[in-house]
Amino acid sequence: MAVFWKILVKYRMLFIGGLKITLIVSILTIIFGTFFGILMSFMKMSKIKPIRWFANAYVEFIRGTPVLVQISLVFYGLPMMGIVIPSIMIGDIDISRLSAGIIALTINTTAYICEIVRGGIISVDRGQTEAALALGMGNARTLICIVLPQAMKNILPSMGNEFITIIKTSSQVSVIGIGELMYAADTIRGISFEPMAPLIIVALIYFLITSVFSIILNNLEKRMARSTQRL
Amino acid sequence: MQTVSNEKIITIEHLSKNYNTLPVLKDINLTVNKGEVIAIIGPSGSGKSTMLRCLNALETISGGEIFYKDKPVSKMKKYSKLREEVGMVFQHFNLFSHMTVLENIIYAPMKVKKRAKDTIVIEATNLLEAVGLKEKKDVYPEMLSGGQKQRVAIARALAMQPEVLLFDEPTSALDPEMVGEVLSVMKNLAKTGMTMLIVTHEMGFAREVADRVIFMDEGYIMEDGTPEDVFENTQNQRVKAFLSKML
Repeated sequence: MAVFWKILVKYRMLFIGGLKITLIVSILTIIFGTFFGILMSFMKMSKIKPIRWFANAYVEFIRGTPVLVQISLVFYGLPMMGIVIPSIMIGDIDISRLSAGIIALTINTTAYICEIVRGGIISVDRGQTEAALALGMGNARTLICIVLPQAMKNILPSMGNEFITIIKTSSQVSVIGIGELMYAADTIRGISFEPMAPLIIVALIYFLITSVFSIILNNLEKRMARSTQRL
Repeated sequence: MQTVSNEKIITIEHLSKNYNTLPVLKDINLTVNKGEVIAIIGPSGSGKSTMLRCLNALETISGGEIFYKDKPVSKMKKYSKLREEVGMVFQHFNLFSHMTVLENIIYAPMKVKKRAKDTIVIEATNLLEAVGLKEKKDVYPEMLSGGQKQRVAIARALAMQPEVLLFDEPTSALDPEMVGEVLSVMKNLAKTGMTMLIVTHEMGFAREVADRVIFMDEGYIMEDGTPEDVFENTQNQRVKAFLSKML
């Protein structure tokens, strides 16, 4: 037990730094992934064939390849494609690496959220769309203001699941040298010659973050369920 | 029954509709005058609902043409203008489940017709009062009975101030004890001179309220006349057979 406390106290700044990066990466990936995932689900249901084909191919490719490969592909591939994100340092954070990590995770998550949202949209009764159209609403308004809010309510549990997966998957961006929690654990293992304690500490930190997320999402679910029952 | 003018509002000419290779409507010809209340009856699968849904372009037509105020529907680039004027009440109500009763009613007038919220809220409250549901305005649809939902749906359609209202079997999904409350709202509406096309299995209602009754079978209009013509004096064997089963 003593060794845990020693490691935790001695390297607390590394753990805190790692936690910060993990949270930044996860939250930004959740925000961008939700946005692009919804967009991709619209594309997958588009009447225009090439758009639908692109979305289908995208989802199949991303789901069929490992996230670790995707992260490296983005990190080494972006500069080769001429997209160079300047290596600005904000505090001790390397923006170039961080962006590559967030972009890669967003690309990955978009595919999964696309499928979740699409399932949610399909689950909304066709009559809702017809009623909206019959009132003179356009296709876009019908989809975004009538169908999507109802779909979101249905898919909230699956979305919560996906968000928690994102938090855990964010540990994989340590391979491109982003100083998040997993990276901090590896660093501390190297310098302290303690093989287990740093790993167990970050495992507990991950568990803490995902638990907090679960609680928030559960409350949100309950609140949304209540909103339709209010008298 | 009253205030039926000779001003044509909808003209259907040689309308046909196929689902893939299955013909549903074969050769429909019909003129609807402003203020007319038309009941459309006939066996299931005869194309009644499909015809109704062609009138607000929820179904695309395969042949012929529908004219709304002399404008051909199939040539319209956007159907939203047509749908603002031709409202619809559905068998399964289709109230927006994430909105309260009041929000359901005011949403389209606000967002589609871009009218001021204050005036619409007053109008919506009056409409709710007219259908006897004023006290339910802040309730979500889930909390309403079928009959109440359908009355809200009628109020929602009326809030758009339509020229024509289409009713697609408005009482078919209701428990028997709730049919009356919806029919009485529709009866009152008919008295105001609203142009109404009603697909229905309520023969008593059709007979009492409609100016004209249309009998459809196998994708054709087989009989078109006053309630007396159709219910009492018809010579058509199919109509007779259908009515004897219904009454």
